[in-house]
Amino acid sequence: MASNAAVPFWRAAGMTYITYSNICANLVRNCLKEPYKAEALSREKVHFSISKWTDGKPEKATLRSDSPDE
Amino acid sequence: MGLAGVDMVIVPATTGQMGVLPGHVATIAELKPGVLSVHEGNETTKYFVSSGFVFIHANSFADIIAVEAVPLDQIDANLVQKGLVEFTQKLSSATTDLEKAEAQIGIDVHSALNSALTG
Repeated sequence: MASNAAVPFWRAAGMTYITYSNICANLVRNCLKEPYKAEALSREKVHFSISKWTDGKPEKATLRSDSPDE
Repeated sequence: MGLAGVDMVIVPATTGQMGVLPGHVATIAELKPGVLSVHEGNETTKYFVSSGFVFIHANSFADIIAVEAVPLDQIDANLVQKGLVEFTQKLSSATTDLEKAEAQIGIDVHSALNSALTG
């Protein structure tokens, strides 16, 4: 059964919901007063390690530590 | 925010402001950037929600899920105005669909922040 609701503009442009939601959250954080803004920017940081697995064994892991960016 | 028993909440659903009272039919709604107001007795507390969902359960429990939800007094009006101008400019200079979408999101969020502060 096809939905008759219009597709949101961001989905029509090829963006996923999670990307949309994270962009919205970042925009709101950037509009906060201090000291709330500093605390919020610390929530944007991600720090994780990622490795591809082949034949049941992990290959070399890369450490990703993204600070908030545009 | 945590668990609290209140009289009513008004959530910014994509379909418009939705008032939720005890006994509301079970619903899942997507939220757009906007104001969440929590009414208890004569008091109203307002938050700005960046986006998210509201799950209204059959037993009069409602869960509001948002990446960012801030009390309105934490928002800086000057930064909101600057952001609105900046993204309006970005929309006119955007070329790809993705750039246009990002600029449009910027305009939507900043306009919603602006209305929250002035409304």
